[in-house]
Amino acid sequence: MDGRVSLSQVAMRFGDFTAIQPTSLEIESGEFFSFLGPSGCGKTTLLNMISGFLTPSEGSVAIGGTDMTRVPVNRRPTAMIFQNLALFPLMSVYQNIEFGLEVRGIDRQQRRQRADELLELVALTGSGDKPVVELSGGQKQRIAIARALAVEPRVLLLDEPLSALDLKLRQHMRIELKAIQRKTGITFIYITHDQGEALTMSDRVAVMSEGRIQQVADPMTLYRQPQTDFVANFVGENNRFPGRVTAMDGELATLDVGLPTALTGRSTTPLEPGDEATLYIRPEQWRVGRADDQRLPLSGVIQTEHFEGAWLTLEIALDQGPTIRAHVPYMAGGADIEAPLVVGNACRLDYSPRQAFVLADAGRESMNEEVADVAATA
Amino acid sequence: MWQQLRNRFGVPLTMAIISLMGIWLIVMVLLPQWQMIDYSFHPSLLPAERGGVKDVWSLTNYATFFNNDIHLAIFFKTIWSSVLVTGLTFIVSYPLAYYLAKVATPSQAALCLLLLIIPFWINEILRTFAWYIIFAFRGPLNELLLALGWIDRPIRFLNGDTGVLVGMVYAYILFMVFPLYNAIESLDANQIRAARDLGAGWGRTHRRIVIPHAKPGIATGCIMTFMLAAGSYAVPSLLGSPGSRWFTQIIYNWFFEGGDWNQGAAYAFLLLVLCIVFVTLIMRVFKVGLGDIAK
Repeated sequence: MDGRVSLSQVAMRFGDFTAIQPTSLEIESGEFFSFLGPSGCGKTTLLNMISGFLTPSEGSVAIGGTDMTRVPVNRRPTAMIFQNLALFPLMSVYQNIEFGLEVRGIDRQQRRQRADELLELVALTGSGDKPVVELSGGQKQRIAIARALAVEPRVLLLDEPLSALDLKLRQHMRIELKAIQRKTGITFIYITHDQGEALTMSDRVAVMSEGRIQQVADPMTLYRQPQTDFVANFVGENNRFPGRVTAMDGELATLDVGLPTALTGRSTTPLEPGDEATLYIRPEQWRVGRADDQRLPLSGVIQTEHFEGAWLTLEIALDQGPTIRAHVPYMAGGADIEAPLVVGNACRLDYSPRQAFVLADAGRESMNEEVADVAATA
Repeated sequence: MWQQLRNRFGVPLTMAIISLMGIWLIVMVLLPQWQMIDYSFHPSLLPAERGGVKDVWSLTNYATFFNNDIHLAIFFKTIWSSVLVTGLTFIVSYPLAYYLAKVATPSQAALCLLLLIIPFWINEILRTFAWYIIFAFRGPLNELLLALGWIDRPIRFLNGDTGVLVGMVYAYILFMVFPLYNAIESLDANQIRAARDLGAGWGRTHRRIVIPHAKPGIATGCIMTFMLAAGSYAVPSLLGSPGSRWFTQIIYNWFFEGGDWNQGAAYAFLLLVLCIVFVTLIMRVFKVGLGDIAK
């Protein structure tokens, strides 16, 4: 079953508003692919073009190598799981699951057999005769999955289906979705604004912003080597240090960022001294130590402290510099750090240049306030 | 209910509300109805004879009806035609209501509703009379059809049932469109999308998803249209022909031409019973309760 999805130069315009800039993308058959982005970034529009609810203004959509651009939604080999699930409330569980089979003219007995298989797959054997309104949130979720899988789609489209569930159930459903995807081998295309969901389940993730794909990569690469400022801020947290390159040594770039000490980080693109660039340090990369530990080059004062269970989040105002966020592993008794990390205390910090990365500032103008907000709340 | 009202309005106001409701219900609804039923079981008498020996309970007025073939025929024809009007109104209204509720943009829907409502600012007699003119033997419709070459000679629309049917569908369309619109509007658009996504064509999507959801609205619309059609007087008397007399016209004749209120009351009571039977039947067929309709 060929579940490749190819988007070639698809664009979507609603009047003057461009929802999707011309975009090309290949999604492999059997891949768990996610579109990640803030609301309004165009990810749902893209999903609707794949499912057939929208016809792109330009470009074409192909599924399994066949052009689907003009094929109506009911003739596409896709199935969708809606954000609100959209189960048919007047029907029983069986009727819901069998709906797509009934449409295809499959006889009663085969329908029931298939429905029972699917109920087994989603671990709800025996609840076929229940009205869907009597199911719990997690059960509804599974029925929606079973109903979509019943039509044997080549591509399953999931539109933030977990957003209505509570945290525990959501985490559990992530594992289950991934397992179902492995078992069935169907291409899953998943839409979410929740980076946790995208990173834990996906083979590859496309990060979107303002109708444009910013980067397509596997979750690890996305986190370690963001290619744009948007991705660096949206995926995970980052401390940004905009500045100017003063020296290049192999792939290590040294930047003057206005601090007493120059900072060094890895750059995947060649930079020249004098280039404007930004250095990013993730909160968990900081080593925070006592104020008198001269081996640590940077100094600051702790502003706030939040206990988050496995770690402490500190906000530290760097001397002559910005305030940064640092995650410090929390160990009862403080084996690493003799000086207590309490608000008001001075401290010194360091980071490993290999773990910090530098991006040239081509996209600095795209670093608008919205992105800053997203980064702050991430 | 008493508790709720008292908590909200206090005792004196609650008493006032409940007694007003009671007075309205008893004086305006129950007593007149009772009077009608009482009339229908008494013979028509001169004022002097009332309360006398002849003033006894009897079924004569009903016997008159069941012994009169023409009146029976008109009665059943009224039922049948009202069902037809209801069906036609539904067929016309459903696509319109669906369009308004799910397809049109808010501004399109507003415009469309305005166009539907404006004609209803004119009174029913005048609106019906407009159709009388349109359907006239040398009227605009015949002229148009002749000009288009679709017919060779003018058609007498007002001779048969056509005029009455069209006039009634037009007169009662809003009473069907609004309940349907309300019902369809409350359907989650994703339900329709999900059905389409699972492969259903438009026919099946409507049959399995939209119509089952809209059932209470359909029932309400059908009941209202049927009641109005069965009880209509203006449309059949203006657009009808002698061959398409409505039962209401017979009732009118008993009251105001024949002067026999007792006989008229019996006929009116039969029409009331018919309507109640129809409402009950529709509620059974659609499996809806009174509560669903009140929504």
